[in-house]
Amino acid sequence: MRRNDRTGFFDWSLTWALAFILAASSLVLVAGDAAPDRVPSLVTWTPETIVAASSGDAFRGMLLAKRCDHCHGSEGFSPVTSTPNLAGISALAIWKQLEDFRAHKRRSRAMEPIAESLSARDVEDVVSYYAKLPIYPDPQDNRVFPQGQPSSSRAALASRLVTFGDGDRGIPPCQACHGPVAYKIGVPSLANQNGDYVLDELEGFASGTRANDINQPMRIIAALLSEDERHALAEYYGAGLGLQPAGSTAKK
Amino acid sequence: MNWRKVRTFLFTVLALCLIPATRYYQVDEPLLRFLRGSLHVDPLSLHLSGEFVENNLGTELHADGSVTVRMIAEQYLFVPHCILVPAGVPINLRITSADAVHSLSFEGTEYAVKTLPGTISKAELMFSKAGKYKTVCREFCGPGHYAMRSELKVVPRDQFPALRPEERGNCAAQ
Ligand code: HEC
Ligand code: HEC
Ligand SMILES: [Cu+2]
Repeated sequence: MRRNDRTGFFDWSLTWALAFILAASSLVLVAGDAAPDRVPSLVTWTPETIVAASSGDAFRGMLLAKRCDHCHGSEGFSPVTSTPNLAGISALAIWKQLEDFRAHKRRSRAMEPIAESLSARDVEDVVSYYAKLPIYPDPQDNRVFPQGQPSSSRAALASRLVTFGDGDRGIPPCQACHGPVAYKIGVPSLANQNGDYVLDELEGFASGTRANDINQPMRIIAALLSEDERHALAEYYGAGLGLQPAGSTAKK
Repeated sequence: MNWRKVRTFLFTVLALCLIPATRYYQVDEPLLRFLRGSLHVDPLSLHLSGEFVENNLGTELHADGSVTVRMIAEQYLFVPHCILVPAGVPINLRITSADAVHSLSFEGTEYAVKTLPGTISKAELMFSKAGKYKTVCREFCGPGHYAMRSELKVVPRDQFPALRPEERGNCAAQ
């Protein structure tokens, strides 16, 4: 009788020992992962992503875009300088932004709920519509682009950064990623973008309130630019100077 | 003394000894690589997981005083843009590329480290003099190549900030 009791006791102690070890090791593993990875965006530019993001149905997108007209304009040119123009911007670039709004990787009180209400297919369709919109002026719509011309010294300051960057400070030329010289994948053209929006984004990147750029290029660049340079660049793009041939304003 | 009691005790001690082992793995250890089913880093998803996620870039200070520096080279920037390291300490550099072939060189030194997408380039560096070193890309990587420059700041050993294990040093930390 006593012997049996003892056997039972030992079996339990083994079970408890095992349970304790499991609990302890999982605690250690959790403690080891104390700092969670900071992930700027869930998007990766795999071939599958690129195919999905660039194969939307533009006609269906046109119908969906009725919801966006109010803020982004019926022809993709916004009536407010702080809201982005979407006309003619690469489908991949706006697709990524919508995905980031959906995943709350880019914060915006206006856009997060709207993007969340779109399905994956809706996003593909609506971006393919905006990417196909022409960017030439139309007297019929209420666009505010382009905005006023900056003084020639301001334009020259911005133009130098757009065309050559600043090698000493390690600022690459904007046009090497944003076009027209070259486009890095998923980078929006700025040539027909509103000035106040460009400024807001540059300030967001510099302060870290916008931090959805993969591998941090814009956070680094915006932080290297001075306040004055950020304003000059916003005026340059807002005035439509980015639509002129590269470098044409650099010498003035 | 019952043999089963002894066995339980020994088993518990052995198992407890294994717990610390779960902490000390390196991402590129063969076993882990095998478990991940891949022989190299995926240049397209460096930002999602693994060694090169944002908060793991920069200078890691080890308990023995040596440091590991992790960087990404991309068109047309080195990330992080400014690296802070202590002088006279062996530096274990680990760099990968997110796109093209780049080459990280430190002006005024003989060091140059070529980096390709999909692989980790490792190098042992040591800077005996404190000061600022320009880092320059020496491999043509596209139209923004000539502006692909950043900075390495070497500070005397006693001025290097004491970092907690999850912290990574950069110029702003000083
Ligand atoms: C209430 C006004 C409003 C509506 C409606 C709206 N947007 Fe926006 N959208 C904004 C604002 C404001 C921003 C700038 C976000 C920021 O940085 O805070 C923006 C940004 C964006 C961006 C990012 C652009 C870039 O260049 O990074 C995309 C893409 C976008 N909206 C798509 C859409 C689509 C598609 C719809 C319709 C389904 C839509 N928006 C409806 C106000 C609106
Ligand atoms: C190394 C490549 C690179 C260079 C050089 C670069 N950018 Fe960018 N920029 C990007 C990327 C990538 C994004 C998109 C970030 C994202 O995915 O959210 C971006 C986004 C932006 C945006 C936000 C656009 C939008 O519609 O949301 C602005 C504004 C901007 N960049 C301005 C500039 C200016 C001004 C310069 C020149 C001083 C510049 N960039 C140089 C890569 C670059
Ligand atoms: Cu390079």
